[in-house]
Amino acid sequence: MNDGRGAVEQVRGAFARAIMEIGVVHGVPMLRLRTQDVPAVARYVHTDPGLRGSLSLLWVVDHRPREARHELCYLFTLAERKDWLLLSVDLTQGEREFASITPMVHAAKWYEREIRDLFGLIPVGHPDMRRLVRHEHWPKGSHPLNKDFAWDQVLERAQGEYAFRKIHGEGVFEVPVGPIHAGIIEPGHFRFSVAGEPILQLEVRHFWKHRGIEKLFEQQRLTDAVPLAERVSGDTSVGHSLAYCQAVETLLGIAVPPRARYLRSLFLELERLHNHLGDVGAICNDTAYALAHAHCGRLKEQLMQLNDRLTESRFLRGVNTVGGVAMDLSGAQLAHVDAELHTIEQEFGGIEKILFANASLTERLENTGVLSERIAWDHAVMGVVGRASGIDRDLRRDRPFAAYHECQPKVAVYRYGDVRARMRVRLDEVHDSIRLIHALRRQLPMGPVITGPVKTPEPGQWALSAVEGWRGEILYVVMAGEEGRIHRCKVRDPSFVHWPAIQWAALGNIVPDFPLINKSFNLSYAGNDL
Amino acid sequence: MFRIIKKSLATGVVTGQYPAAKAPSEPVSREAIEKAKPFRRSLTIREVDTGSCNACEMEMNALANPVYDVERFGVHIAASPRHTDALVVTGPVTVNMERALKDAYKQTPDPKLVIALGDCAINCGVFKGSYAVTGPVERHIPVDVRIAGCPPRPAEILAVLGELRKDRPNSDR
Ligand code: SF4
Repeated sequence: MNDGRGAVEQVRGAFARAIMEIGVVHGVPMLRLRTQDVPAVARYVHTDPGLRGSLSLLWVVDHRPREARHELCYLFTLAERKDWLLLSVDLTQGEREFASITPMVHAAKWYEREIRDLFGLIPVGHPDMRRLVRHEHWPKGSHPLNKDFAWDQVLERAQGEYAFRKIHGEGVFEVPVGPIHAGIIEPGHFRFSVAGEPILQLEVRHFWKHRGIEKLFEQQRLTDAVPLAERVSGDTSVGHSLAYCQAVETLLGIAVPPRARYLRSLFLELERLHNHLGDVGAICNDTAYALAHAHCGRLKEQLMQLNDRLTESRFLRGVNTVGGVAMDLSGAQLAHVDAELHTIEQEFGGIEKILFANASLTERLENTGVLSERIAWDHAVMGVVGRASGIDRDLRRDRPFAAYHECQPKVAVYRYGDVRARMRVRLDEVHDSIRLIHALRRQLPMGPVITGPVKTPEPGQWALSAVEGWRGEILYVVMAGEEGRIHRCKVRDPSFVHWPAIQWAALGNIVPDFPLINKSFNLSYAGNDL
Repeated sequence: MFRIIKKSLATGVVTGQYPAAKAPSEPVSREAIEKAKPFRRSLTIREVDTGSCNACEMEMNALANPVYDVERFGVHIAASPRHTDALVVTGPVTVNMERALKDAYKQTPDPKLVIALGDCAINCGVFKGSYAVTGPVERHIPVDVRIAGCPPRPAEILAVLGELRKDRPNSDR
């Protein structure tokens, strides 16, 4: 891939003196900047009409003990050809402050708060310096991703209270919800400020499930950490493990055999299918339309049982492994998949007709929880939520991985940005996933499904990988350490990007509609909290 | 309307269409069955997630779908710990969720059962040892029933709930 060469020239033209070094890491151009210039360059990349970079990832690496420096990396996806452009900057000699880019690039907001919590680096000029990951009872100075923080230490307890943003005025109430919710869902806290029924403000307070996953990765070897990646967000076991495997394979110089690439795509689409079917049902359920929920629930269950028969895991765990896939599918199994999907497609078509003939359902979905294209863009939203708000991005088409070079998806894009649009995207993707699985099966090449490593990575080498999971873009940065260990693994589930955006989608809606809006986003708490 | 009826007729009854459960790795203890007696054939459960990966929740949710339809066994899922007989806890207990778990336990009226669902709840699974994890569920509240698996299949969860409904251990009624 030759990412953004032109973009590099353009940035160099505009900021000749700010750039210390230009490099290319596995095809991604990387500009090393002076610390003080980052905000200006980031702003330029974000706003220049020729670049229109959207911040895809912001991560930090503590290079100790090899080098005493913290490195900040900013990954932008450029609008035109969806090329990547990487900016990086070093903090050396115990420097703890860096200039915040949040005032210019809104999408950096949570990343910079996260960095402050996990590394103790301070984003100077950030408009919101409250804690994010570390809740108030964490002791001062505990920054778990620094190398001098022991991964298994027991934390002391401190006192403190989170300062929610307050709205004052006559008749304004606060409605706190969570962390434990009424349904069987993950823990998270929502704080609504309401006047009557309409929501004036919503603040999400998450990270209840923070399990220290990135630190746990650092205790493992490159080739051993797939089970952990599968458990970042259980509903996305294939997406996360695939993204992890791809990054490690780049480091180990592995070219995955074609049959394995096809099977990976097939399993990824199976995962998309069962989740989308579940979501369509759940959206209907939140409008009290139990019939559709029951039908979708049963189809989803049919798929889960299919998964179980194919791989002995209802969540397709244990499929991906470094170098390929751990299990091959026989001709009979593939024919079985085909047949099952055939019935599901037919059944689902019938359910769709019932759905759209129901005015009381569609009425609830239309104009509910609108996320405008502008706000979506400002938050760097992508995936299902983005495509429902006119953001035409899909990694399967834009940066093909696995077998998507050969089997291309039809990307569904809608513009209304409401619950209906998010449901529509899912409905279209259900059909397209089924089509893709049929196509993958027809074109499935013969051959081995796994190969071994070619080289051992030098400590400090790293690779970036991106997978379009069913929610959206899953990004992994894996850096090799000594003797095949992991020095750093940055995990980014799309939910981390979409939670701040949902705060905007809820505005002006009534509180009873929030569960519906939330379902239409269906974000992961586990993948967000890590 | 016609379409809906046609669809329902064409679909038929799907309840019970799932492969039989494997035997649980840890049988339900006599004490737990004894403790579940007051609830007889009607057990209300409340799920508390203290840091799971969400797969265990999804399997709990699957229990409510038409295929497993847990309500046919008198198992009901409550919206609040105050309305529940049994707390089902999933996930290792994270530093941030410890207090919420203890609160939920306190809010649950006696007599009550605690069911640890999934390897994480039993022994922290892959998250064991992390600075952000305080330990398995039983470090914080007493656990009566353990359902192992990562995640346990819905049929396996159903089998254990079925055991709890029995009047005497190892009898069918
Ligand atoms: S036991 Fe397995 S499935 Fe359940 S929460 Fe833990 S990792 Fe997830």
